[in-house]
Amino acid sequence: MVQDTNSSVPKPDWLQIVLVGRRPAATLVRILVLVALCVFTFKFVLLPIRVEGISMEPTYHDRRIDCVNRLAYWRHEPRRGDVVSIRFSDPGKFVAPRAMLLKRIIGLPGESVAFHDGRVYIDGRMLDEPYLKNSCDWEHPPIQCGPDQYYVVGDNRSMPFEYHTQGLAERERILGKVLL
Amino acid sequence: MKLAVRLGLLAALGGLGFWLWTICFPNPEKVVLGRIAKLAAVASVDPGDGGLTRATKVGNLLAYFSADAVISYDVPGLGAHTLTGRDELREIAAGGFANVKALTVRFQDATAKVGADQRTAVVSCTARVSAGDAQDFGVQELRIELRKLEGDWRVTRLETVRTLQ
Repeated sequence: MVQDTNSSVPKPDWLQIVLVGRRPAATLVRILVLVALCVFTFKFVLLPIRVEGISMEPTYHDRRIDCVNRLAYWRHEPRRGDVVSIRFSDPGKFVAPRAMLLKRIIGLPGESVAFHDGRVYIDGRMLDEPYLKNSCDWEHPPIQCGPDQYYVVGDNRSMPFEYHTQGLAERERILGKVLL
Repeated sequence: MKLAVRLGLLAALGGLGFWLWTICFPNPEKVVLGRIAKLAAVASVDPGDGGLTRATKVGNLLAYFSADAVISYDVPGLGAHTLTGRDELREIAAGGFANVKALTVRFQDATAKVGADQRTAVVSCTARVSAGDAQDFGVQELRIELRKLEGDWRVTRLETVRTLQ
């Protein structure tokens, strides 16, 4: 007579399967790995941010949620047109700061950046900026970027030049590129 | 099994001892950062704070600064100003605390470096200041110098740092 071996093992009920799976130990390991992966990713690689303020309007609206990719400049240096996050004080080598500036790079190391009649001039040549929607009348003589400096500015240039946070950012302050 | 339990207990005892050690003899950098966090709390005003509370807060705030403290700030919209000594600071703080409905000061991303003499320290942090719901002074990088005077860390110099040159 052949005995059914499965009949001696109690079958887990459907609620247990839904909550912890058929093998609870494996489910627990999966959950721990997933949590560790999420913590690592969102703490060190993709930093979740909430935009505050209007300096990047209309590209980035106030209170918009986004992410900063800290690995964007792993293989190449920041490029013109990139929207980057710039740290204020340095909380440590790998620790993500709680407050950052969100700006667009318009000037690269070694270039000179000037504003004339609201237009940006890089080394004397006008820069095409399709992301700008508002016209402005900014005037500023050329500013020379150092060998390790990038000129950053917001997309909303409707306010006076002196009220808009902009200028030269050291490379070490640039944390990463905004994802979307 | 007995050995494992004993080892576990020993490890727990070691952990407890270390924790007590850090409580009794805290790292000077942690003490400085704690002092800075308290300074932010003292510099904040709740909407429900009355005149007497606000006046007391001004006194408490001054206790965090040395007699010859220098505060130098350059904030867009407010311009560049320098305050020297407790008297000037008292005047500005009393006026500010009396006129704002609420003031929230937070020092974030703070790091402290204590000098080799263990009596001076420099804190780098990002200050977020907002006055109630109406006015937001935004975010500003700060550099704060402290000195240990009469057993307490006191601010000798506080200045804003231009994040973008």
